This record gives sequence, C-alpha cells and structure tokens, in this order.
Amino acid sequence: MRCGIVIQQNMVGRNASLPKHHWIEYRIGVNLGDVIIEADDIYGDGVNIATRLEGIAEPGEVYISGGIYEQIKHKLVCGYESLGDRKVKNITDPVRVYRVLPDAAAYSRTRKRRETLLISLLSLALLVIAGGALWYLLGQPSIRVADRAPAPSQTQPNPAATQAVPPPQTAPPAAPATQQAAPNVQPVAPTAPQAVPKQEPAVPGQPAEPKSGVASAPVSPATPGAPRASAVREPEMLPLRGGTFVMGSNDEASEKPVHQVTIKPFAISKYPTTVREWNECAAAKACTFTAAGKDDAPVTNVSWSDARQFVGWLAAATQKPYRLPSEAEWEYAARGGTQSKYWWGDQLQPGMANCKNCADVATAEQPVKVGSFKPNPFGLYDMGGGIDQWVEDCWHKTYQGAPSDGSPWGAGDCSSHVIRSGSWRNDATYVRPASRNSYDTNVRYPTHGFRVALSP
Amino acid sequence: MKFIRLVMLSAALTLLSFAAQAQGKPAGKDAVLYFVWPQNGTTIKGGFWCRFGLRNMGVTHAGDDFQNSGHHHLLIDVNEPLNPNEEIPSDKSHLHFGAGQTEARIELPPGKHTLQLVLGDAKHYPFNPPVVSEKITITIK
Repeated sequence: MRCGIVIQQNMVGRNASLPKHHWIEYRIGVNLGDVIIEADDIYGDGVNIATRLEGIAEPGEVYISGGIYEQIKHKLVCGYESLGDRKVKNITDPVRVYRVLPDAAAYSRTRKRRETLLISLLSLALLVIAGGALWYLLGQPSIRVADRAPAPSQTQPNPAATQAVPPPQTAPPAAPATQQAAPNVQPVAPTAPQAVPKQEPAVPGQPAEPKSGVASAPVSPATPGAPRASAVREPEMLPLRGGTFVMGSNDEASEKPVHQVTIKPFAISKYPTTVREWNECAAAKACTFTAAGKDDAPVTNVSWSDARQFVGWLAAATQKPYRLPSEAEWEYAARGGTQSKYWWGDQLQPGMANCKNCADVATAEQPVKVGSFKPNPFGLYDMGGGIDQWVEDCWHKTYQGAPSDGSPWGAGDCSSHVIRSGSWRNDATYVRPASRNSYDTNVRYPTHGFRVALSP
Repeated sequence: MKFIRLVMLSAALTLLSFAAQAQGKPAGKDAVLYFVWPQNGTTIKGGFWCRFGLRNMGVTHAGDDFQNSGHHHLLIDVNEPLNPNEEIPSDKSHLHFGAGQTEARIELPPGKHTLQLVLGDAKHYPFNPPVVSEKITITIK
C-alpha cells in the first residue's frame, strides 16, 4: 500500500509539468486474499475484489479493503476514510472500503469536509429550533410587549430583535423605535465623542438632539481619514488570479514533497519594498529605524518582525489589508505559471537574475535598484535573486503536512521564518522559485528584505 | 587533491594576514571557539545535536553591540576561505544563530562532512582576528 501511495505521489509530480490532456492518473485498489498465480495470468477472489476497488476509486486515489485496513491501521501512519460497505459486481458479500489519505493535508481536508458537513447540519438544526422558538415567542407575547411599551427603559434591548423580525414588534413601540435606529449607527463611527446620547432617546420628545450628534459623528473622522490615506505612497500592486499550481521540487530535501496548492486571488507588489517606502514608515515612527541607501534600492537588513511592522503600518495607514505573502503565494507568483527550474526555463541564463556568479553586475554597488532585471511572466520583478524576501510562514523543514489552500503555515518553529528568492550573495540554485531557506525571526541580516501582498 | 588543499591553505593564510584591515571588531583576548559535540572524527547515525563552546567571550543576539561578545555561525562543508571584510554569508552551508543559540539539530546526508564554527559580531562580520574553531570532519552513517 505504501507502494500505491508512492506511485500516486510520483504521478502528481510527473503530471505537474504537463498540460491536462497529457496527464496519467491511476486508480489503485488493494486487497488481501487468495491469489492463484499461473504462468500467464493471476486470478482468484483477492484479485477480483482489488479490481472492483480500483474500479470505484477516484483517479489519483488509493482504496483498500477492510481486510487490509485491519492489518495496517496501526502500522502505517496515514489517514483512512471509511466509505462503508459497498456491494461490488460478482462478489457475494459487500466489501468494506477505505480511502487512503496519504498526507496530513488530505487528512485534514477530509476532516474539514466532515466538520463543515456536521457544522452545517448542526446549524441547520439550530436554525430550525431557533425559528420555531421565535415563532412561538413572537406569535404569543405580542400583547405583552404592547403592555410594556410605555416603560422606556425596557425598550432598550429591542433594536436587535426589531432588525431581525420587524413585523410584530415595530408596531407597538413605533415612536421609540425610530429614535433608537438613529443612535444605533454610532458605534460604527470610530472615536465618536457623542457616545453619551445613547441613553437619551429613552426620553421621548427630544429627537433633534441625538440626530445632530449622529450627523456630525461620521463626518468628523472621515475628513482627517481621507487625506491621510492618500498621503501614504502605496506600493505598485499586481492583482493575480487564483489557481492551482504544483509547489516544491525534488532538488532539495526541504522542497519535498511536491504537492498541489490552490491559491485564492490576491495582489502582490511588483517590486520588493524600497528604501523610500520603508522610510515613510520610519518617518511615521511606525518602523524602528531609518534605512540607508538609495531611494529605489530594496530595503535590506530587516528582520521578519521589522517586515511585519511595516505591513502593519501600511495596512493601518491605507485601511487596506496589506500583509506579507504566504510562502505558497510567493512561489505561485514567482513561478509565473511555469513549472520549470527557473521561471525562464531549465537552464541558467545571464542577465535574468541578480545572483552570485550569474549576473553582470558583480562590480556594481549592491543591492542594485529594484526592477533592474527582467520581469517574470506575471510581470513581477526580482522574484529570485536580488534580496532574500520574508514571507508570513513559520519555518518547517519539509512540506510534510503543509496546507494546500495557499494560507500561511503558522504552527511549527516560529523562532525562525521562511525566506525566499535568494540574494545577490547566493548562487544560482537559490534563484529557483522552489528554493527556500529560513532565518531567525528577530535577527536582521544585510541581504534580507521583503515584498507585500494585499488581500482582495 | 593535496595540491588543491595546499592552495586553499595558503589562500586562507594570506587572507588571515590581511585580517589586520578587517571590518570586524577586536576579538576577545584568548577567545576559544570549539565544538562540545561532535568531536573530530566522530561517526554518527542520523541527525544529531551540535553543541557550540566558547571560552573568554560571551554569546549574545546578532545586533547587540556588546563588548567582547558575538553569535555563532556553523559552516558545513565550506571550502572557501572566510572573507574578513564581508558579512559571514547566509545560505544552506552557513547557518546563523543570531538569536544566541548555542546548539542546533543538524541533519546531513550520509558520508563525510566538515564542520567549523565562526563567531560573528553584531553585524555578522568575523572578529579581528577571526574567532574560529578547528575544522572537524565527521561521518554520517
């Protein structure tokens, strides 16, 4: 069965570099039973059931029978999903079938699917109960609510309910309800100093007072907010469509296993963050040091924590969800839709990236300004070579158990984080989009920089 | 092979003689950098904890500019001589321990490997003169 898993994983690796109509996908069934071996054929119950299992398996999956499962469930550490008893052709008794989940990702996917199913069923049940209860409550005590309506303090908790189910309740306390709707808006406006009038609508006959407060509240924070956002120079962002790609390579142990990842749409900066961009953060006292160097050179000597500080400031100043890219997003962007060793092919070419012994700028002052080399097929510059780039993920020695949804991989050794791209001081093997390395989270090094991402 | 080694050695020695003009901070008096484990010639099965020893100087974070202290770097299978005028490189054969670590879990493919420790200052430059350990050879089974 381990053989089956290995075959399937290798096929994923093989198919990765091919268009879909050239893919070869196996279905594998494994069973334990009597096998009759003859010179030119094998047959018997054992083979027949295995064949049937193979028949019901999904392409790329390994299905095993109950007999196999009983033998190996505690020996081979991977997940199994029970598919129950299946009646198969020409076999008298139904066969218990298990689907093999070779890695933690597949296991958690299945678990998540089950959890979501359970949760949605549960929430459906809860909704039905809640609906029933509401109907019961609202159907009967509408008379009682009408009794209570004159007491103003009691109407305070009503607005939430009136929003959910308007018809029966709005009718009796019509006058206070309209007043309450207005102050309800207030918590949304940040730093509204007029939070005090909250209690006032309880006293009827003073509608003008809270209304004027509400009118002024949204205006005052908006006016200083708008020019502040435009003052910050935003990095040039390139929106990327999501998609599925094959992450990793077989070149280094840390890049294995090769696995499929699905990326959601996001935007990534066209260039690494520059000294000019960094120093705006430093000027705003949000970043701890002022970077030296030319304005359009990438900022260097930043730790992961420094990079996080910058994106935190950028997100707050622009009110947009700026962040560091995840490791998967970085590789997806760096590959630019290619599956070759480098984004331009399998051979090193001079002038494509800023790395040791592979660029003509060896004598130039380093790091050279951003965008000095050719962009990759996505139009992104310096995705490989130039400066090392921090990503959001904590360091893991291999991709064993890595998420397949493109999200950053948090758990693990978070005293160090992942760096990508390789720098001008690393050789060509570090320029490969699959190449990955790590460095201490809080330590600065002169070749380390970063680029930013933006959630849609 | 022997010739290449001799060339390497002489290159290393010439570089060391230039170390007088190095960027690095002055090394502590009688500073000794050494491997607590493994020792030269050890044969090890699988991964191991490599433990770094330092006498007459202190270990601190990278970036902390304290007198007479630095942080560890482990050089694995590195044959190029150390350049005292450049930061200690950071790649898969130059491991940095800028958080002040004094040990590390190392996993290497089977075969012979060399290990050497280099102490770096706050800015990752070697000290002047460089504080380096003996270059040891270990075998992974």
